[in-house]
Amino acid sequence: MTNMRNLILGAVFLVLLIAVPPLLDLAWQNALVNILIASLFALAFNLLIGQAGLLSFGHAAYFGIGAFAALHLMIAVENGLPFPTPLLPLAGAAAGLTVGLIAGYFATMRSGVYFALVTLAIAELFHSLAPRLEGMFGGEAGIASMRMPWASFTFGSMLSVYYLVLAWVVICGLGLWAYTRTPFGRLTLALRDNEQRVRFLGYNAHASKVIVFAISAMVTGIAGSLLAISNETANYSLFASAVSSQVVLQTFVGGATVFLGPVLGAAAFALFSFLVSDLTRSWVLYQGLIFVLVMLYAPSGIGGVVEHHIRNRKNLDWSRLAGPYLLALAGGLLIAAGVVFLTESASILFGEEYAMARQGANGGLPAYELFGLIWKPLSFVTWTVPAALLAGGGVVLMRARREIGAIWDSKGHGARPAAKSASMGGAA
Amino acid sequence: MNASTTEQAALRLAGVTKSFGPIEVLKGVNLDIRRGERHAVIGPNGAGKSTLFNLISGMFSPSAGEIALNGRSIAGLSPHLINRAGLSRSFQITNIFHRLSVFENLRIGILARHGMRYGLFRPIARMRQVNDETTEVLARVGLEARAHDLAGDLTYSEQRALEIGMTLTTGAEIILLDEPTAGMSREETAQAVDLIRTVTEGKTLLMVEHDMSVVFSLCDRVSVLVYGSILATDTPTGISANRAVQEAYLGEEAA
Amino acid sequence: MEFAIISALNGVTYGLLLFMVSAGLTLIFGMMGVLNFAHASFYMLGAYVAYAVSSIFGFWTGVIVAPIVTGLIGMAVERFLLPKVHKHGHAHELLLTFGLALIIEELVKLFFGDFPVNYQMPASLRFSAFHIFGADYPFYRLFIGGVAVVMFTALWLLLTRTRTGIVVRAAERLPAMAEALGHNIPMVFMFVFGTGAALAGLAGAVAGAFYPTNPNMGLELGVIVFVVVVVGGLGSLKGSLLASLLIGLFSSFAVGLDWSLAKLLGLVGLGEWARSIGGLMTLELSSVSATIPFALMLIVLLVRPAGLMGERN
Repeated sequence: MTNMRNLILGAVFLVLLIAVPPLLDLAWQNALVNILIASLFALAFNLLIGQAGLLSFGHAAYFGIGAFAALHLMIAVENGLPFPTPLLPLAGAAAGLTVGLIAGYFATMRSGVYFALVTLAIAELFHSLAPRLEGMFGGEAGIASMRMPWASFTFGSMLSVYYLVLAWVVICGLGLWAYTRTPFGRLTLALRDNEQRVRFLGYNAHASKVIVFAISAMVTGIAGSLLAISNETANYSLFASAVSSQVVLQTFVGGATVFLGPVLGAAAFALFSFLVSDLTRSWVLYQGLIFVLVMLYAPSGIGGVVEHHIRNRKNLDWSRLAGPYLLALAGGLLIAAGVVFLTESASILFGEEYAMARQGANGGLPAYELFGLIWKPLSFVTWTVPAALLAGGGVVLMRARREIGAIWDSKGHGARPAAKSASMGGAA
Repeated sequence: MNASTTEQAALRLAGVTKSFGPIEVLKGVNLDIRRGERHAVIGPNGAGKSTLFNLISGMFSPSAGEIALNGRSIAGLSPHLINRAGLSRSFQITNIFHRLSVFENLRIGILARHGMRYGLFRPIARMRQVNDETTEVLARVGLEARAHDLAGDLTYSEQRALEIGMTLTTGAEIILLDEPTAGMSREETAQAVDLIRTVTEGKTLLMVEHDMSVVFSLCDRVSVLVYGSILATDTPTGISANRAVQEAYLGEEAA
Repeated sequence: MEFAIISALNGVTYGLLLFMVSAGLTLIFGMMGVLNFAHASFYMLGAYVAYAVSSIFGFWTGVIVAPIVTGLIGMAVERFLLPKVHKHGHAHELLLTFGLALIIEELVKLFFGDFPVNYQMPASLRFSAFHIFGADYPFYRLFIGGVAVVMFTALWLLLTRTRTGIVVRAAERLPAMAEALGHNIPMVFMFVFGTGAALAGLAGAVAGAFYPTNPNMGLELGVIVFVVVVVGGLGSLKGSLLASLLIGLFSSFAVGLDWSLAKLLGLVGLGEWARSIGGLMTLELSSVSATIPFALMLIVLLVRPAGLMGERN
């Protein structure tokens, strides 16, 4: 019954993904493409950490490899190779798989933090080498190409790219989900739990981990090639550690223990960065803060918390919980407002424009504009506002937490949503 | 593996030596395990019993000497190859997949037996035979009722039963059990002995055991390991009558 | 000859700097099993704190204040943040410190901007140590190496000659036992974490005045330091000293060498063929010096997976 309902939910969601984008403007279509790509990237990454318990800090390598492979194929198509444009991501898949097999061979020789460090170093290897290799990666400028028409499709519009990306993301997503249902998918979970026992049951643990790694790299390569198809260009910055970090942040904020958790995180972060990246220079700082807060207070991520609630939905008195949850939300918003106020103030006061304004004011501290209001740096009011927001939010949040905890405990659940232990990675 | 090989030992150790740095833990162990027998290794703490098991199962390589499984050398092979050659072991400290269900724990080994180790293209739910055999092992170790609970949530003796069940799943002919009743109450031990007796029917069993009553009720032959070498190998009654053993081992316990 | 001596000197000083940062990381990992991803961020923070303080109170005050500040922050992280995720395992501890590294980097950008700041050594230290092969060798390089050596001697004496040091070493081997013997192990952990962070901060304060001080310096050095601990063997101080010097020397020699695979193949008569392929074949060693540490790490992984001085798992 739940299966049927999930199926219907999925179908409805898919219909929305197909029907809505034509109604949106170009910027939104582009944002949706990026959200889809980020989602697939996070799903592929989570195959390693969520299923196999291997924490990679260098998935940018396979993302970048996939992008460059697709671009080289695109250039060949431009020069007359008869290859259907919709199948370009196969190049990314092949390249990701190949590089993943080699890199995975090295990385999975050790487990735990070693694995994390080796993956990081392999990505840095690409990052440091790529700008020096003119032919393959186009030096510092990178390489570019154009999508060529195929059959009756021109792939000229963002919308057609969107549908191409959507098709690939849905197919790969379903493939990754099916993976968990195969013998090898179950073996992957066993590897996460107890690699030694797997070996004593007749499995070659190292080879198995290399294969998991290579599959993850292959799907990551597909995600990278989709980005290349959408952007028609790529350069060595795709190998940067920031790309690897992003997928770690998104996956864990979304929740590595739930299959669709990473999608949640990737969608949320990609959407927010589309909405606010013009408004603030501190978006990465906010991401870092959110990530650390999730690690501290909800280690199984948003997806884990949601799953926990769904699992207990029948035992919970939602009418009693609604109030405290709204209160907690209000408290959280107050604190967020306080933090944003302080961060943006600092960003302005320590920025270059303000330094010039100070020169104009002969070294004094001129007033600055934030949220449509004028604030004086030395005024009492300026600093009372964020302090009040933080303190008020803190009090509200603590009270809400107490009440929520009491309601959950009264239902006989030792585990509160926030204190729920994450069953994550044997990656230690 | 036919009738003519019954003469040949199922497992033969000849001059097996293991050193960790300057410390020689095993000093030339010679041991023949006959096909179909239940054989116990006993000995005081630190005699090298665990090391012996770790060498046979491939966790470590011997420093010198030969280990042969059905006449084929397995010394220094990696654990998964030794398992595929027909030898499966349990662990003294429970070594299961804590976050998988009991059913899944057993199914991993069943899959290995069927050579579907790395199957990627068929859903596991449709593998009828694999799932049937898993249910069968589940019944043999008496864990049907807990099939869908997480292995980590089982009681200690249930986990020990699962541990034994997992050892059986790969279909090995030779079973190594490392202190299967350690830490159990008298009642649990009696149940475990019954379980071991039924599940190893027709197989070759080599076990490390401290509880003499378990050894006497279960085993055909006993070897005594003291300070890294085999002092004697005999029937349980023969061993308890052995003077040297009494002095070296039983006497020590009586004291 | 000239090239060899200069490169060796540069390599050793750079290696000692690497060791100043990797020593703390190794010590913390060996003891608590926590890989502190934010460790190199303390290095960067040290440089920035020293820059900010020295611009008002002078260079030496900056060099003293920086390790104190980073040490205190390290202690606070160990005391208030790590315990919260401890029960979820080492992976979560690693992830938490990863998040902290990100936050520290972004905060530095927020207050100091994205570009390098002008953190300079004082004029009193800006002179040449000696004149060699017609060039001046800057004294400050030797100063960096000297600070490292003095620090290690102090650390080594502390660990081997004092009561605290003996407790620290006991806690590293068998924390539960040391605690059962009545030692305040949580305190020892906090102290070690703080010391590690302070070492990194001091390294940043000293090195920042010579190398560029920018928000990327933490990550750039951090990646190399991680390579050092993998090559040396996580948790082994001797291993990380050896690997630090090795990587320091490799990097500094590589900068000056125009070797390439094509030249190598030229020795066996395949030079023309290799040059016609181009790409990786004609890359000169000097242009890929940044890649050397990573390549070295892969080779070590192949030959000795546990690292040069590491114990097998």
